[in-house]
Amino acid sequence: MAKELVAMLLAGGQGSRLYALTQKLAKPAVPFGGKYRIIDFPLSNCVNSGIDTVGILTQYQPFVLNEYIGNGQPWDLDRLYGGVHVLPPYQKASGSDWYKGTANAIYQNIAFIERYDPQYVIILSGDQICKQDYSDFLEFHKQKGAEFSVAVMEVPWEDASRFGLMVADEDDKITEFQEKPKEPKSNLASMGIYIFNWDILKKYLIEDEADPTSENDFGNNIIPNLLRDGRKMYAYHFNGYWKDVGTIPSLWEANMEVLDPEHSGINLFDENWKIYSRNSGMTGHRIGENAVLDNCLITDGCNIKGTVRHSILFSGVTVEEGAIVEDAVVMGHSMIKAGAVVRHCIIAENATIEEDAVVGAKPKGEGIGEVATIAADVTIGKGAKIGPSAMIYEDVKEGEEQC
Amino acid sequence: MLNSKTEALGIIFPNSYDAMVPDLVSERLMASIPFASRYRMCDFILSSMVHSGIDNISIIVRKNYHSLLDHLGAGREWDLVRKNGGLNIVPPFAQKQVKVFEGRIEALESLRGYLLKQPQKYVIMTDANIAINFDFNELLDAHIKSGADVTMMYRKQEIPKAFIRQSRDRMDLYYALGMNGDRVSKIYINPTEEGEMNFSMNIYVVEREFLIHMIDDAYVHGHTYFVRDLLDKQIDRLDIRGFCYDGYVVNIHDTQSYFEENMRLLQEENLNALFSPNQIYTKIRDDNPTRYINGSKAKNVMVADGCVIEGEVENSVLFRGVHVGKGAKVKNCVLMQDTVVEDNASVEYVITDKNVRVTEGKSLTGNESYQVYVSKGQVV
Repeated sequence: MAKELVAMLLAGGQGSRLYALTQKLAKPAVPFGGKYRIIDFPLSNCVNSGIDTVGILTQYQPFVLNEYIGNGQPWDLDRLYGGVHVLPPYQKASGSDWYKGTANAIYQNIAFIERYDPQYVIILSGDQICKQDYSDFLEFHKQKGAEFSVAVMEVPWEDASRFGLMVADEDDKITEFQEKPKEPKSNLASMGIYIFNWDILKKYLIEDEADPTSENDFGNNIIPNLLRDGRKMYAYHFNGYWKDVGTIPSLWEANMEVLDPEHSGINLFDENWKIYSRNSGMTGHRIGENAVLDNCLITDGCNIKGTVRHSILFSGVTVEEGAIVEDAVVMGHSMIKAGAVVRHCIIAENATIEEDAVVGAKPKGEGIGEVATIAADVTIGKGAKIGPSAMIYEDVKEGEEQC
Repeated sequence: MLNSKTEALGIIFPNSYDAMVPDLVSERLMASIPFASRYRMCDFILSSMVHSGIDNISIIVRKNYHSLLDHLGAGREWDLVRKNGGLNIVPPFAQKQVKVFEGRIEALESLRGYLLKQPQKYVIMTDANIAINFDFNELLDAHIKSGADVTMMYRKQEIPKAFIRQSRDRMDLYYALGMNGDRVSKIYINPTEEGEMNFSMNIYVVEREFLIHMIDDAYVHGHTYFVRDLLDKQIDRLDIRGFCYDGYVVNIHDTQSYFEENMRLLQEENLNALFSPNQIYTKIRDDNPTRYINGSKAKNVMVADGCVIEGEVENSVLFRGVHVGKGAKVKNCVLMQDTVVEDNASVEYVITDKNVRVTEGKSLTGNESYQVYVSKGQVV
């Protein structure tokens, strides 16, 4: 039985600009929003949109991601036919290769897609925070009789030159593609989410693979080739919340926006479009006698005795008496000991901030400023001081200062 | 031995003592009473069994088991979806039984065919009105070592008043044990004495084949109750031993104890005792983290995921999806799933069942010895 639409989720990126956070895990596995990982968003979008077949393309530090995905049950993607499949590069009779580019990753898995004989394939990105109904997108693609559609966001003109831009006519037909141009002709930025008719995609993947000069990339190669041949290409306007959390400040900012769903547009509290995740299974969180909580998100298993303001605490975080947590993202099972102060920072999983240590500081000027970052499993010693722009990969000894 | 998986199977009686908590079980049974912010009572016994390597567990349901079935599903969250064994829910067999069974013997009779075919040598039977985090291998090892016919688990404590105060026309049975060394020398049925006794936890180990033999014998004699009609009658003939449990235990036997047991978990040492050494599994609801906004105040509370707290909460246990509105006050309360306390409402010493709504500005107050109970879905 054929599937109408198969999703291919690009999750192989290292996310090198997340530095300390992606030392041991791939970017899509980076924790987000209190109990999620980034990849929960595209996966939940798939299942909420009625897509039940998803291939996840991985190659960088896959263990955490593989274990997290498991059989796909938390997203209801454990299916007899279809479901979620993790697709690492593999050896073939004709040799083997790492995924050379986004298009090559799909090319190497043509056989996987063919198993489902789909009419359409949607290419998703595993490093964006976005709630999107892909079935609306597919509907658009069908209505236009398109062979290729790309989801686009209107961005401010002054930022446009940072994006891959689609120039489209009044019928949304794409006439030109500009990759990070100096002089933008459009402010429609590609979100990196594409729907292809499978026969077209397959044809262009094979052609692209045969071209030794190609970078095997969707943006740089496949889309220009489609344009060259005058294919029916359309731009689908998306106006919901969308954020590429590729950098520490943008990841921090997106987390802070979760705290303010009334204004930011990212609402994780929506019963009609749930974001699913693998749960920690810990008890309800505990708030002590003298705790102060103001505008924060607290997850199961937390134990709060100190002060937490405008912060997101993931499951199992401990904040001891007299500790202060402000404008911070504190990931699972980290411990903020008595008298420690953490501000305007991201603390990864299982980190320990010892007594009276200080991490980060509020930026002086406007804007996000710098965000101090502590890698997973790191201990910051007693009374140590970590400056606001620090990126800490290893333990910091008692009393030491790092900036 | 790699693990003890073939040693024992579990049998749970989820309806035991239902009659003592009529409010809480009006639309469910004892085993599915919500407890400790995100669990149901049966989660504790089930998780303990699973962590002990017991992966063949039968639950003999009697009535009102709709919510239990909904909670357990196929048993996935407890890792009990197994080809062999796993979770086995046994509803009453309408054609065979003229009326719904009363005691354990009749219940076990309905499981006889299944029991005959199982590979496990031993059977561990429990109720679901207690919550423990216990390695059943300790009990099993003691039973095997002693060579007893039956081992009963007990705890040194006073008999809870609720048992003694039961009405005469509907009495649930409870037992205390007279011990002689580790031998049970006497079984006190519904004792009313004050002071510490060897209070039976209604957890038993027995060899599977011997159990089948016992229930066959008892069933043809028209016996109903495992302890009263069987163990007590044959106490001189059988080798019955006691196993004293001194770990943390939750015992639900009336609404007051339900309230107090929830409150007791606000003390960190109690919470840690009940939730260690092993994790307690429960059904996943995929709630988002809890939000504290708009100048909320929280003091000494346990709160599950999915809540929104805008008002004040103190000394309370909040289950998943509870909403406390602006200016609302919640003090000394147990608020079950999806309870809404609207703006400026106030509740003190109140237990709300699922989906209760306390409307704007309303006030409900009970007291320490008697809590106001608001039943499922009510709007105040």
